[in-house]
Amino acid sequence: MEREIQLLWLAVVLYVLAGSLAIFAVILGKKPERTIQGLLWSGLLVHGIAIVHRWVRLDHGPYVTMHEILSSGVFGLLFIYALAYWRYRPIRPTAAVVLPLMFIMAGWMVLTDPKDAYVPPTYDTTWLVIHILFGKVFLGGVFVALGMAGVVLLRRTRFGQARFAGLPSDRRLDDLAYRFMMLAFVFETLMLIAGAIWAQDAWGRYWAWDPLETWSFITWLVLGFALHLRVTLRPSPVRGAWLIVTVFVLGFLTFYGVPFISKVPHQGAV
Amino acid sequence: MREGSWWAALGSLKLTLAIFVLFTMMVAGVYLGNTAAGWILAIPFGLFAVNLLAAVSTNPAFRRQGGLLVFHLALLALVVLLAVSRLTYLRGQLEITEGEWFDGTLTGYEVGPLHPWHLDAVRFRQLPFTIEYHPGRERGRTLSRVAWIDGEGRRHEGVIGDHHPLVIAGYRFYTTHNKGFAPLFRWQPADGAPAQMGSVHLPSYPAHEYRQALEWTIPGTHHRVWTLLEMDEVVLDERRPSRFRPPRDYRLVVRVNGQRHELRPGETVALPDGRLAFVGLRSWMGYSVFYDWTIPWLLAACAVAVLAMGWHFWRKCAARPWRADDND
Repeated sequence: MEREIQLLWLAVVLYVLAGSLAIFAVILGKKPERTIQGLLWSGLLVHGIAIVHRWVRLDHGPYVTMHEILSSGVFGLLFIYALAYWRYRPIRPTAAVVLPLMFIMAGWMVLTDPKDAYVPPTYDTTWLVIHILFGKVFLGGVFVALGMAGVVLLRRTRFGQARFAGLPSDRRLDDLAYRFMMLAFVFETLMLIAGAIWAQDAWGRYWAWDPLETWSFITWLVLGFALHLRVTLRPSPVRGAWLIVTVFVLGFLTFYGVPFISKVPHQGAV
Repeated sequence: MREGSWWAALGSLKLTLAIFVLFTMMVAGVYLGNTAAGWILAIPFGLFAVNLLAAVSTNPAFRRQGGLLVFHLALLALVVLLAVSRLTYLRGQLEITEGEWFDGTLTGYEVGPLHPWHLDAVRFRQLPFTIEYHPGRERGRTLSRVAWIDGEGRRHEGVIGDHHPLVIAGYRFYTTHNKGFAPLFRWQPADGAPAQMGSVHLPSYPAHEYRQALEWTIPGTHHRVWTLLEMDEVVLDERRPSRFRPPRDYRLVVRVNGQRHELRPGETVALPDGRLAFVGLRSWMGYSVFYDWTIPWLLAACAVAVLAMGWHFWRKCAARPWRADDND
């Protein structure tokens, strides 16, 4: 286990370096994008090795304890973000907005107990892995959108206006952000469907309004509302950005907050 | 207002937004108020269905965009199927002693008003079962052997448990964490009537490890029998892997008519109107049962909805690059 923890710490250091460089780059008006991208992918590689090492050692994926869930959560969000960073060059400065959030999440992860745990019998199914993967893509999509929403909102300040002047216009950022929200909506729907299949097999019911299911559904409704609102009333990019922030907060609290209050077998973390 | 205009108003996208808000508030309200969701949420589901139907039939955007149309029709089908599901479903619990047949009796259930009640056609027998425990009493796999009779009267045997339910006549039987020990008794009335066999399901083990007692009444009599199982061995060891099984070293304490008896298998208690014999110690398994014929159709509607939604979004995004008209 010591090797896993060392690898995890190394990954966190690489993420923090990438994030710090992204912040300084925005403040100083520099573009060390290749270095940030290199650090990000290196961190993901090391983190991935740590996850695989643990998976092989314990014979279960990173989805049982809160430590494992946070670890796979950080990996998933940063993997999706790194893909967007590589693919959409004009939005790279958004790293300065979203990577600091990862500092908090990674800090929480290293503070949690990395104890080994047995997989509950209800978790021993491929549908759980599929359900979780869809969930990671959903939150990853919202996370990328959050970066652009953060830029739109920061531009309301004098500091943000100056530092993010080189990015596309608010309207264009809003357009791209909502493409990621569409992706997130598809994958949240898939997550709910795969979760229902898992729940039917595991507990003999596909839906029971338990806290995780309820909050996931509320997030789905708010995301659906945001997409509908955009088509119907065409809100300003600032309002659109606030909706993205709301969806991310709801999704984040569902994934990482509900396990602390849920007492049912389907609680996210054991 | 003309007929067409009120129908168009019902299909308004602004009304959809209002329904989204109402739906979210009602789901949150049901959750925070800790109330049963079922019939309360029928209101926003119903409103959604009407709004969807009106929108699909009046809004020309649906005719121009096939993916959007199919997605919304699939959502509509989903709402209808959910309503049918709530009218016909059954969800219940039952307990069976090892060696006994399920006789259609449930210990508890909730059911839709139009449930067809085929449960009396279901016949299955509980054979020996295994539940593995990891150190620290972490429950592992459940392997429950059962025999059942199919609709054509043929006998089958198999192992169910965890993700593998027994499915007979549309009813899905799932093993649960609920299980325990069951002393088996034979009651021989003094008047020469036929003897009756029956088991007493002691409270779930190990959840109620220190409460392995139950009071019950001998059928056809007024004798109240208090039964206690005292185990002189550790069945589930905290320190090493173990399996749920009836204890080998135990005492069965029976108190009836103010007299205390310690019984071993085969021993009897003589009562004024008959003899109560302790046959042996078995185990019982708790099952949940679920009936919902709409499940495959719900899954199909979900699959169509998500595919259509993905197709619609893909076409929408592919039609125009995100910086196509950016002059920044």
